[in-house]
Amino acid sequence: MQKTLLLFVSFCLSILVHGQQTRINFTEYELPNGLKVILHQDNSTPIVAVTVMYHVGSKNEDAKRTGFAHFFEHLLFEGSQNIGRGEYAKIVEGAGGELNANTTFDRTFYYEVLPSNQLDLGLYLESERMLHARIDQEGVNTQRNVIKEEMKQTRDNRPYGRLLSETMSRAFKVHPYKTDVIGTAEHLDAASLEEFIAFYKQFYVPNNAILSIAGDIDIEKTKQSIAKYFSEIPKGTQPIFRPEANEPPQVAEIRDNFYDNVTLPAVIQAYRIPAQGTEDYYALNLLTSLLSGGESSRFTKEIKDKQQKALYVGSFPLALEHPGIFIAFGIANMGIKPEDLETTMNTEITKVQNEPISDLEFQKLKNQIESEFVNRNGSVTGIAENLANYEMYFGDANLINSEIDRYNKVTKEDIQRVAKKYLTKENRVALYYLPNASKPVPQVAPEPKTESPVPSQAQTPEKPAKETKKKKKKGN
Amino acid sequence: MKKLFILIYICLSSLTTFAQLDRSKRPTPGPAPAIRLGKYESFQLANGLKIFVVTNKKLPRVAVNLILDYIPPLEKEVTGLGDITGQMLRTGTQTRTKDQIDEQIDFLGATLYTSSSGAYGSSLKKHQDKLMEIMADLLLHPSFKQEELDKIKTEKKNELSLSKDEPESILQQVKSVVLYGKDHPYGEITTEKSIDAITLDKINTYYTTYFKPNIGYMAFVGDITLAEAKALTEKYFSTWKQGTVPTPTYIQPKVPAKTKVIVVNKPEAVQTVLSIAYPIDFKPGPPDAIKASITNDILGYGGFSGRLFQNLREKHGYTYGAYSSLQNDRLVGSFSAGGNIKTNVIDSAITEIVSEMRRIRDVVVTDAELKQTKNIRNGIFVQSLEDPQTIARFALNTARYKLPADYYSNYLKNIEAVKIPDIQSMAKKYILPENAYILVVGNASEFEAKLQQFGEIIHYDAEGNKIEASTTSSTIPADITADKIIGNYINAIGGKEKLIKIRDVSTSMSARVQGMEMTGIRQQKTPNKLKMSMKIASMGMEVLKIVSNGNKATFSAMGNTQELTGKELESTKAMNTLFPELYYDQIGVTRTLKGTEKINGSDTYVIELTLPGGSKTTEYFEINSGLKIRQILVGETNGQTVSQTTNFGDYREVSGVKFPYLLSTSFGPQVVDLKVTSIELNKGLGDEIFE
Repeated sequence: MQKTLLLFVSFCLSILVHGQQTRINFTEYELPNGLKVILHQDNSTPIVAVTVMYHVGSKNEDAKRTGFAHFFEHLLFEGSQNIGRGEYAKIVEGAGGELNANTTFDRTFYYEVLPSNQLDLGLYLESERMLHARIDQEGVNTQRNVIKEEMKQTRDNRPYGRLLSETMSRAFKVHPYKTDVIGTAEHLDAASLEEFIAFYKQFYVPNNAILSIAGDIDIEKTKQSIAKYFSEIPKGTQPIFRPEANEPPQVAEIRDNFYDNVTLPAVIQAYRIPAQGTEDYYALNLLTSLLSGGESSRFTKEIKDKQQKALYVGSFPLALEHPGIFIAFGIANMGIKPEDLETTMNTEITKVQNEPISDLEFQKLKNQIESEFVNRNGSVTGIAENLANYEMYFGDANLINSEIDRYNKVTKEDIQRVAKKYLTKENRVALYYLPNASKPVPQVAPEPKTESPVPSQAQTPEKPAKETKKKKKKGN
Repeated sequence: MKKLFILIYICLSSLTTFAQLDRSKRPTPGPAPAIRLGKYESFQLANGLKIFVVTNKKLPRVAVNLILDYIPPLEKEVTGLGDITGQMLRTGTQTRTKDQIDEQIDFLGATLYTSSSGAYGSSLKKHQDKLMEIMADLLLHPSFKQEELDKIKTEKKNELSLSKDEPESILQQVKSVVLYGKDHPYGEITTEKSIDAITLDKINTYYTTYFKPNIGYMAFVGDITLAEAKALTEKYFSTWKQGTVPTPTYIQPKVPAKTKVIVVNKPEAVQTVLSIAYPIDFKPGPPDAIKASITNDILGYGGFSGRLFQNLREKHGYTYGAYSSLQNDRLVGSFSAGGNIKTNVIDSAITEIVSEMRRIRDVVVTDAELKQTKNIRNGIFVQSLEDPQTIARFALNTARYKLPADYYSNYLKNIEAVKIPDIQSMAKKYILPENAYILVVGNASEFEAKLQQFGEIIHYDAEGNKIEASTTSSTIPADITADKIIGNYINAIGGKEKLIKIRDVSTSMSARVQGMEMTGIRQQKTPNKLKMSMKIASMGMEVLKIVSNGNKATFSAMGNTQELTGKELESTKAMNTLFPELYYDQIGVTRTLKGTEKINGSDTYVIELTLPGGSKTTEYFEINSGLKIRQILVGETNGQTVSQTTNFGDYREVSGVKFPYLLSTSFGPQVVDLKVTSIELNKGLGDEIFE
């Protein structure tokens, strides 16, 4: 239960804003080879986060070679011309650091957190990864196997593990968001070493990356070290493939059932919405708080607590670079029909559309946002990632300080307006995620339709995050 | 001349200035930064509540954590009572309804929850007073209502139902039962029935027994001073009445005398969850905690460096991750090692983990590996200091576990003090590969036969109940025998009359291995001659060759030739017989009917063959068609037990005899599909081919 929910909770949390009292100061510049650099100094703990965000995610892939961006998230731990196979992680951990990476539809993020006297080591390692990573058949073969197990662990062998992928494959017909971040095993099997090398040369270049560093550093010394390790990396020579935001608008409701190994049915509604950073996107974030932020929120209070129809019910907009979806989602309690759960969800949505929000409730949303924003920048790794995200998507790292203003501009009426505009029947996918046991027996024995293997998680970490966290606690 | 020197000098100096960075050299670290442990202060209320304060004004927020430090009781028929009592505390007080509680907490933008062991809350600093007021109201003045209990019961039952789908939850449940037993609170698991038995009375009793300030530790962390914490706790918690809390004792759970295999069958699982685990007496703090943690880190650190991760993931590709953990606990600790493993290599994965567990006991760790692991633990410690909650945790642990006052300030020093012999002595004490439970949750029919080598197999259901064998059932009609099934098979593929007329078989095959096209030819001749050759199509290179004239056999792979001897030769000779099923008595193969199993949705009979020389093979015959659909060979290579599974499919008739045209064989983590392209019979192959 917990893990399934966590996926959704983490999406919900990703909308959280940040605040005015605690300004994040940073230095920003660009090297001649196009590498953007962002530095944030915070000397309170002697650690430093060295991170590189590459502007490549699953949406940049060839439709016949899905899973490449995530595959690189594995491959780029294999070493480099100067770092032996399997040494990369050992060097970081042996220096008292930790490292990991994760991939989304839009970008890939690599990081090391090191004791601050090892800053240069982090820079060296990331520059080796960018300059001449080790991409060979042996590494490709091993990681293929590992990723196939990752697919099973995070998607196929987990209840509701295909929820997001099944939703995305129905919500998008043209745009690459229709395919899973983790991709398909067949594509990875079919890909040649040359294709992997070509992908590396196109995307893993300084002019497609942001080096974001936060922690116990001295700005001037750090700049010198960065020049030393990164300035010799040549600029990429190929045009970087960026897909069009080409998904045509949806005109009629898409309704479908998906059967899997679960006992409780789930209801998913996915409404098409504008990209992150747009005015309506911020209003949709407040709408999410209204529907599912806390025990007193509308969905939770009415559907879970009062009517006891769902074990969990919530909503969240996916933060995507291109127009994406707003998901409303519930797991029905035993004996509750998915139709029944969906009706109650629709009733709450209609209520938002038709009845004004009280000042008190609106103030609650603002207080929640204020509180969430303070909690957002609690770690240097989080700050480094947030700065890089803002720079990559909006060309404005300072949104880490100013984005709160965009939330504050949203009015009660805006929330109602976006609910009316986007949360309509025609604009949605309604998917019932049902137990295999409830699958109707077909009259003629048909070939089971091969489900195009589709997205599982918007973000797939290199290793299960749970394990890393568990270990971190063991300092006692 | 002088000019030349100047020129050379200029060249040299410009070289040094613009010399290319020597990337073969890793940067050396600067001087180690000073590690400052944050400070904490503490005081106690008259009612015995102990309060700790860690002031950190970096962000305008405050968190408060209350831990009630009691030994959990056995809950027996009302297992889940503590959990539900904890949850009930947030559903009503004498002056607040659940709706009001929810509204007020959300309005602050705060977090506040309660549990059987206390409560946790956090909010912006400006709301700290209100947060404490609500928290105290929940803890001191609860009002338990039937309506809310009913709601929680419904929720719990739904959660139970959901966790039955989740292989990892199933593993955890069964692990608790197996490791600790029903007479220990850690071994009790919540069921629908135990939830139903919980009443408001029982909740009230639990609350009044355990929610006492004198066993409470409350930690404030964040933008708050000692004086503020004093004022808040005096104001809201000083009226809390103390009382005596029971301190039950339990019999220490024991490790099994011999390793056992615990199987939970989940037929639809596409991966197998594995944990090698046992309970262990491992206490927090000195003398062992640091040394034993480092020992476990060498074995199964949760990052990339652990031996298990390197072996199972990076070397073999069996899994997305493999780790071990050694948990300390005042009552009883535990060890566990495992991961989510590719099903067809589960036996190899177990073998690797067990051999790593043995290695850390038997082989002295190198200085470099110990240094590496010390650095890791050092790093974890320093990184953890970024979160001010860490200091609060240190303070609470020191008080609760009666650790030396300087335990955490000396932590790094004590890591440094760990010596090479310590690792082996800790491993011998805490790493017990011969006294473990090997727990597996997955499609048992895929692996059960391969797990017998590790110990007695015991079956459990997903709710933690011991059951009879779940896959190999014994409900077989009385008149069915192994020989009858083999007879049915012979009939199904064409009948004895047709089979004995076949003198030789030539089979051509193809396969794709790691993107490469392979071709193979197998020639067989009566009674037991065999030649097999596999080539990489593009290079014409022969990668595998087996030749046997019936008396001796050679095996060549990638140019290395080996003559089979002893046990291997005996079993090879027997099984190379053309249609060996016709001659089992003559060639000395004994047959045992083991039961039935479902394989990929088909019911099968399972027959175990014991070959001359003693090695065993398990074969699966589809009940409906009579055809053989799977074979598992178990053999020994270099002292290690290995097994190989082959699935047979796509049976086609050749001159009235059925042959499988698809053979899927697992080689370690690889599955190779051998596709038959042609079969020719009675070509009159000469004996010289097989020499």
